[in-house]
Amino acid sequence: MSGEEEENAAELKIGEEFLKAKCLMNCEVAIILDHKYEQLQQMSDDPTNQISQVFEKSLQYVKRFSRYKNPDAVRQVREVLSRYKLAEFELCVLGNLCPETVEEAIAMVPSIKNKGRIQEDDQIEKLLNDLSLIKKFE
Amino acid sequence: MFFHIVLERNMQLHPRHFGPHLRDKLVSKLMKDVEGTCSGRHGFVVAITGVEEIGKGLIREGTGFVTFPVKYQCVVFRPFKGEILEAVVTMVNKMGFFAEAGPVQIFVSNHLIPDDMEFQSGDMPNYTTSDGSVKIQKDSEVRLKIIGTRVDATEIFCIGTIKDDFLGVINDPGAAS
Repeated sequence: MSGEEEENAAELKIGEEFLKAKCLMNCEVAIILDHKYEQLQQMSDDPTNQISQVFEKSLQYVKRFSRYKNPDAVRQVREVLSRYKLAEFELCVLGNLCPETVEEAIAMVPSIKNKGRIQEDDQIEKLLNDLSLIKKFE
Repeated sequence: MFFHIVLERNMQLHPRHFGPHLRDKLVSKLMKDVEGTCSGRHGFVVAITGVEEIGKGLIREGTGFVTFPVKYQCVVFRPFKGEILEAVVTMVNKMGFFAEAGPVQIFVSNHLIPDDMEFQSGDMPNYTTSDGSVKIQKDSEVRLKIIGTRVDATEIFCIGTIKDDFLGVINDPGAAS
């Protein structure tokens, strides 16, 4: 359990395996699961048989908490955020929670400052502006 | 947080399935076996999105079953300590409240709810600030921070807090009605 003890998302300690893995924002998961759900429905007449509770709960959850509904906007969010040299995990937390102020963003993703990739507050502010613009024009 | 990762599993297949549809059989068995399961290391397997590679099968002595190593891509949900996420409140009692974020259950004890929020019993038990402006009840949406995880054989259970900056209710269903 020693590995478990050290885990701390605030410092980006999420294990080598997950650090390298591709993170998904809620809105991206919604697109994937929706697609899969449709496929399952086409394959059998009674889809409820095949769908696990985990799948169903996840689908409900990501639909409820997706900030961006439009697939184009979702792609844009990832593109814009990936310009800022963020870790995958940080990128997705920002995309999921859409903080409105710089203080909020730092509270949500403390590692953003520690790692020294984004030193200036105004750079964070620019990032948040970009995000809210996508939302506005969705 | 949701992740897209590649996992590996050894699948055992009965010889009666051998034939032109062997691959299909393997994939559908994989989905049935893996989707919806949970492990402490990788979290909940939500959905398999693709099969990368099926290795050479190996006949098991004595049974005739064949084991295939299968590499597959899947969407998993894995909560982390220190992670901040949004969740839906499912139950409120005097000990605190339970919330759900996808497949995972999160408990927020009343010690980790801001001190100015008091428990109110009744048909719709809730936590309310003294001026009544903020209310947590069933179906409220809250933003919380995970401070602990417990791994069971088939489930991950989390402890959360809303006693920090920028945490708490984000949407109150009672206020809209």
